[in-house]
Amino acid sequence: MADVTFTVDGRQLTAPAGTLVIEACRAAGIEIPAFCYYPGLSLQAACRMCLVRIEKMPKLQTACTTPVGEGMVIATETDEIKQARKSMLELLLANHPLDCPVCDAGGECELQDMTFKYGAGGSKFTDIKNHRDEQQWSPVVFFDRPRCILCYRCVRVCNEGMDVAALGIQFRNSGAVIAPNDITSLDCEQCGMCIDLCPVGALTSDTYRYKTRPWELTHVGTICTHCGDGCKTTLGARREENGMQIVRGDNRDKSGMNGDFLCVKGRYAFDFANNPERLTQPLVRQPDGKLAPARWEDAIALVARRFREIREERGGAAMGVIGSTRITNEEAYLLQKFARGPLQTANIDHHRTTDYPGFVKALGGETAHFGSIADALTAPAILLVGGDPTEEHPLLAWNLRTNFRHNGSRIYIANHRAIKLEHQAKATLRISYGGYADLVRSLAASDDASLPAETAHFRDALRAEQNLLIVFGAELRGDAIAPLIQFGLSLPAAKFACLGDFANSRGAMDMGLHPAFTPGYQAVSTVGLSLPQMMDAAGRNELAALYVVGDDPVGRLGLAPESLRNTFLVVQDMFLTATAQVADVVLPSASLYEKSGTVTNTYGDLQPVKKAADTTGVRSDLELIIRIADQMGEDIRALVPFGRGERGDMGQSRGVQSGEADRHAVWLAAHNLEPKLSPFDPDALLDEIQRLVPGYDVDRFALMAGEPQPVRVAAGSNFPVSTGSESIQPANDTLFTSGTLGQYSEKLTEVNRFQAEKTLVAAG
Amino acid sequence: MSIVRDLANVAKGMSVTFGEIFEPTTVENYPDGPGPTRGARMEARYRGRHVLQRDENGLEKCVACFLCAAACPSNCIYIEAAENTDEKRISSAERYARVYNIDYNRCIFCGYCVEACPTDAITHGHEFELASLNATTMVMRKEDMLAPMPGSPAKLDTTSR
Repeated sequence: MADVTFTVDGRQLTAPAGTLVIEACRAAGIEIPAFCYYPGLSLQAACRMCLVRIEKMPKLQTACTTPVGEGMVIATETDEIKQARKSMLELLLANHPLDCPVCDAGGECELQDMTFKYGAGGSKFTDIKNHRDEQQWSPVVFFDRPRCILCYRCVRVCNEGMDVAALGIQFRNSGAVIAPNDITSLDCEQCGMCIDLCPVGALTSDTYRYKTRPWELTHVGTICTHCGDGCKTTLGARREENGMQIVRGDNRDKSGMNGDFLCVKGRYAFDFANNPERLTQPLVRQPDGKLAPARWEDAIALVARRFREIREERGGAAMGVIGSTRITNEEAYLLQKFARGPLQTANIDHHRTTDYPGFVKALGGETAHFGSIADALTAPAILLVGGDPTEEHPLLAWNLRTNFRHNGSRIYIANHRAIKLEHQAKATLRISYGGYADLVRSLAASDDASLPAETAHFRDALRAEQNLLIVFGAELRGDAIAPLIQFGLSLPAAKFACLGDFANSRGAMDMGLHPAFTPGYQAVSTVGLSLPQMMDAAGRNELAALYVVGDDPVGRLGLAPESLRNTFLVVQDMFLTATAQVADVVLPSASLYEKSGTVTNTYGDLQPVKKAADTTGVRSDLELIIRIADQMGEDIRALVPFGRGERGDMGQSRGVQSGEADRHAVWLAAHNLEPKLSPFDPDALLDEIQRLVPGYDVDRFALMAGEPQPVRVAAGSNFPVSTGSESIQPANDTLFTSGTLGQYSEKLTEVNRFQAEKTLVAAG
Repeated sequence: MSIVRDLANVAKGMSVTFGEIFEPTTVENYPDGPGPTRGARMEARYRGRHVLQRDENGLEKCVACFLCAAACPSNCIYIEAAENTDEKRISSAERYARVYNIDYNRCIFCGYCVEACPTDAITHGHEFELASLNATTMVMRKEDMLAPMPGSPAKLDTTSR
């Protein structure tokens, strides 16, 4: 739009026509206070804090609803406006309790800040305040009515941002209160966005309320460990007897690619780390058949000795390694290097939830067509084939809704079931569960008169699109992906994204936790056993040793525990899972929140993970793999290129290697010097990944600054015919489950039960 | 004449001395004096060891707002907060201090915590005999500093005199 010129407090400013006065002023560094105005949400003009004087207009005007006009003369800091703000605050505080010392928002409360800045020292209202008791609306949301200032941010974010409409306004005028539309409790996605946006402490979260104060926490921005979207969550941790305990997660600073969005898992489901069932010391199976605590040195020495014996007696082919979808890229890379190097085995796999190799193969060298999660926010048209973003990829769903709301994007949905995003869809096509391959073939094929009219109409609408983001779920696998890619590439501009579950599924695959690929989808000459094949081999007593890092194949696949009786089983996990229960050695490992490194989300955005919490007694998977290799007598420097520094030793178990920033090392790295003194420093492995893994040569400094870096992997020339898509097993998680990890999150389990009861009641 | 003037000056000076001899002593006889404070007398606003006050119902006044810890220039106050329940009510507001420690190795008795306290929960008492040869005994817990329950048998009351 054309620019208009106007004057604010004597300064000549220019902004595109249609810009709101409040936005134009903020862009120029002129602060206009507001409670109800929230960028991205509809306008409300309820709080009257943003009043400004505009020449030739009667009375003071709300800056949050007035667009700038040519020649407008605006005053934002006159005595009249100061008096107006002071009076507004006095009215807001008329019934607002002065319980700041106990209020959770104390210290980061917008009302507190504004009262400091613009408010009066006293009040003319001497009547007794109207107290109402606090209400609990759900396992995670509490509401303290007297604290509410009726800015309606919560109502708007619930209606518009989340498309849930669980919150509304009860009564009118001075009696108006925010209330759940379900009368007494919230029937919603329990995302907690209402709590996050609340400018005061009216809405509070169960995990954080009355526990501490914001300035007492350490705040660390890291990546959520749950689904594959890779939202940034800033975790607030406080000291506890057994380390640093996380008490809240949010993204209020909007520093991540998810803006301020977080779903129920990112916001509340960090409590698995404090689960009393958490393992904190190594367990070794005793001659009497029971697992008993052991010393770290003994447990690692036993693992190393048995691995060495089995390798020498039966060869690497009798050994298997299973990785995880929740370890960092560095750990996954090291694990496959350890398997293919010291263990001399090609049997390496992980729980695959979608067909990334098939996707990379179908896309070939067209790496410019990889989509990222940011594209979902801007693409003019989106095709969604399969998947249910609302349940499995909440950030994608949020971005699609936001894109639809702000830009009117056209969303096309082909799915075998009704999904919530259809509310925003331009066209919806219902197909059978087995019909995905046929659908994409008909998209790519030349016109076929035998197609049902509905499908043909859907196809024609898509073909008319110039710029399309194509997102597909795990329903499309193997050869079925190629026609979709072919169709997309026939459009003027198209990007693709493949939906997989868990925080680092994409990274685990990219790092070569696959029997047929080394990192970067380079085919191997001898293809090893896949995960199901390894479990079968163990059942046939053909697998002498199995090293499971952060997975639970026994529980997940429902295997008989006896099938692993004759296999030397080593499990690294946080909990005594079904697999760990039958293991010979169990090593307690750190969660993703307790270590540093990088993860790649399902769209291929590489992001740094930072250590936010700590649990006494656990060690990162990276450290454990290195210690086992060291005990086996392997050359650690060949495994981890940690430099020639003389002080490089294995003596430490805390410090740089567990993720705290080593400023000296950062400085050395920036000057291309020799920084790596510890083998447990994940940066050393990231160096090697950047150097050796195709597509991972990203801008390291931008990555360290927290900017997601797109990973663009091109298919190698010797790509195998089969990508092993038959052993893919989607997690089928909902909003309130998160694989094995979710079972250990008490809050997530509680919310899941709460919502399940709601659904039951609704069904009668 | 000068001798007379000098003697007069000496007599004037000595009159102050001899006059004071018969006045009662103003030096405190600490630590050999009478009473629980062994002869020490403190002004009302003396800043001694802290006392955590209770309200008239015997509930702790501290609501664990952390403002004292935030105000403390020597960073010697450590608090862990917890939520009151109907079954277990410690303070009158929603939150109470589960742990409240003051490290007297570091405390400089500046009184900022007392000024910062919005509920008048933390006050300076008059206890001053804090010296110890063992630094680990210098970290006082909440139980060491809490005022006695109203109506309970009076302990050594150092808060007022």
